[in-house]
Amino acid sequence: MKKAIVILLALMMLAPMAFANAQAEEAKPVTIEFWTHEDANRQRLEERYIKEFCETHPNVTINVTRQAATKMIELVQTAFAAGQGPTVFNLSINDEYPYIVAGRVAPINYAAAGYKDAQAVIDAYAPGMLESVTYEGDVYGLPLELTNWCLFINKNVFRSAGLDPETDYPKTWEEVVEVSQKLVLRDGDILTRRGFDFRYPYYLESMVPMVEQLGGQLFSEDGKEAIVGKDAWVKFFEFMQNWGPNGLNLGSPTYKNARSLFNANNNDIAMAMTGLYQEARIKNDNPDFYNSGDWMVVPFPTFENAVNDTAACYYGHYYMVNGDVDEATQKVAWEFISYMLSHGEEYLKEVNIIQPTVALMNSETYKNTPYSAVFSQDFERGHIVYYGANSTEIQSLLKETVAAVMLEGLEPEKAYNQLKAAVQELVDEVN
Amino acid sequence: MKEILQVKSNRTKAYSIERKQAKWGLLFTVPCLVFFSIFSFYPIINAFITSLTNKQALSRTSKFVGFDNYAYLFAQNDTANGGFTLWNSLRATLTFTIGTFIPMVVISLLVAVLLMSLRKDRQRGFLQVAYYLPAVLSSVVATAIWMIMFDPRGLVNQLSNVVMMTTGKDYKWLVDTNMLQASTMLVYFWKYIGYFVILFITGLAAIPPTIYEAATVDGSSRWHTFWRITLPLLKPTVVLVSIMAMLQCLKTFSTQYMFTQGGASRKPIDVITMNIYFTGIRNGRLGRASAMSIILFLVMLLFTYLQFSTSKTDDVEY
Repeated sequence: MKKAIVILLALMMLAPMAFANAQAEEAKPVTIEFWTHEDANRQRLEERYIKEFCETHPNVTINVTRQAATKMIELVQTAFAAGQGPTVFNLSINDEYPYIVAGRVAPINYAAAGYKDAQAVIDAYAPGMLESVTYEGDVYGLPLELTNWCLFINKNVFRSAGLDPETDYPKTWEEVVEVSQKLVLRDGDILTRRGFDFRYPYYLESMVPMVEQLGGQLFSEDGKEAIVGKDAWVKFFEFMQNWGPNGLNLGSPTYKNARSLFNANNNDIAMAMTGLYQEARIKNDNPDFYNSGDWMVVPFPTFENAVNDTAACYYGHYYMVNGDVDEATQKVAWEFISYMLSHGEEYLKEVNIIQPTVALMNSETYKNTPYSAVFSQDFERGHIVYYGANSTEIQSLLKETVAAVMLEGLEPEKAYNQLKAAVQELVDEVN
Repeated sequence: MKEILQVKSNRTKAYSIERKQAKWGLLFTVPCLVFFSIFSFYPIINAFITSLTNKQALSRTSKFVGFDNYAYLFAQNDTANGGFTLWNSLRATLTFTIGTFIPMVVISLLVAVLLMSLRKDRQRGFLQVAYYLPAVLSSVVATAIWMIMFDPRGLVNQLSNVVMMTTGKDYKWLVDTNMLQASTMLVYFWKYIGYFVILFITGLAAIPPTIYEAATVDGSSRWHTFWRITLPLLKPTVVLVSIMAMLQCLKTFSTQYMFTQGGASRKPIDVITMNIYFTGIRNGRLGRASAMSIILFLVMLLFTYLQFSTSKTDDVEY
């Protein structure tokens, strides 16, 4: 009995000390390096969220680094290679997936993010939305945005070429060529107005689906063969060669990207391929054009003889947490991410980006966003962009092959053989 | 005997002064040696060690693979790695270096001589600054400006139309394989010529005017004076400038990188530094990229040695 009393007294003495330690741990200063891609509309919101979060977590400092999306891919990788990766970052899933495979990012701290377990997170999002970040039973990321691309059309430019945008907009890639030929303006050989142009740095998202429409694939079903379906790939390369400056001269990777020109409504471009977020950017950059109703969104085209009705691939930018940082910092990082993502409706209203929770996808806000139905239908026609251990390298190879076909005049068949050999080498390395 | 002792004592004195001076010399050299050791020798050794591994940017571990990376790079055929082989990079680097450094050395020398012959100091000063200004501009900014000018609607294409007496022709400065290579050379030439002009001017200013006066008295023509007096006396500067220009051209990166970021085709201008960048930074293959950087280092070492040994850089005394 005496012994029990002594132990009890000792425990009572130690308890406040343990409690004090826990409190000290709680108040320990935490610095979060937060790296994200540039978006003026999103920046305004996030600056406010960071301020609010830091007010409720006075021990937390958040340093933000913003760079162009393409630059961020290299910056994050270089930082991780040097062991100096950011605490929280986001990239497109095809660039992010290798971090999960390499064990460089931490799984979600479910309690800190406000969920019971992995299943609870998966259930909170629309079906399949977290598949790409689920690895060996754990979820490694939460989506900042889920994006697919449709065709934005400037009605004024159509009308100026004697076309009716409502009926003459292109439904097939062949019509994209035909309509573009009517829309372009030239000074001799020099294009002064383009009808449409592609988004050249993003081949996995927008060009692989074109190959799939023709019956080709990036990989065979078992994942062992790369660049499948020679006829489809060659036909796609022929199409691109014909599109470029050595063919019909309707566009080129060397011109200013169409999406950036579209908002200005300067009679430079009639059609651009981009996501729902473009609406907020038009509103921000050129409110008169936004309010004029002189623009519209139509679905991603297909080839006339398409064997598959595939729309542009959707891709997600997922927030991830560096696995090298200590657990206390990881916990705060997930609390911070969860706080930002609790404003899904505001993100949609102000920035027009979709955080695909079940709640948001069924909300009135989403349904009332202009042309959201067009994007939803294309989501159903599309699939997630290819992601794998070498997806960044494959994206580069696709880019260079298309550039070689369009600019250097590389024969489509040679381009196919070259691409197949290079991607196959990567596949064989992994297998 | 006394004399011998005196000589011995002088020798000891001189020896001790030399030693003292050497100590001070060493002391002043130490920071430089430390700096070089940390920022040059260590990265070279580290790159060599990394080149013997299969290190990848995101993996935490790496395996020793011996000279496999070198063997892989030298065994690549034309179509391997999407055509972005070491051989293609060596070709692109040599094309760029020969196409840029020879005209740069020759023309910067001519411009420097021309500037030195100007009688008004203000004119000379203005032109020196004007030539040098692009060198202080960031390479990225300079290339971005030039890319706007190379656009079919840009200044360079318009000028090409005027010179070639055509209208509305697209000379494809950023598209055609040869024009693209020429474009990168032009940007680099424009950016660095002023820097080498200044170096030549410094060399020219060091030649005593009395030699020219004597040549004029002897009836030497300007052409003759240039070939028989200026050029031989300028030889150390010429060697210095040509080695610096060559090394800089071999290391070129930002011009080509910016061009490819702007959508230009990579293969024609895939200089070795850019291949290192894409292999190491974009694709995360640090072992292979390190092997390429060691190869570049050896190429630079070889060219520098060849240039030194062929130009016999004896000191010139006036």
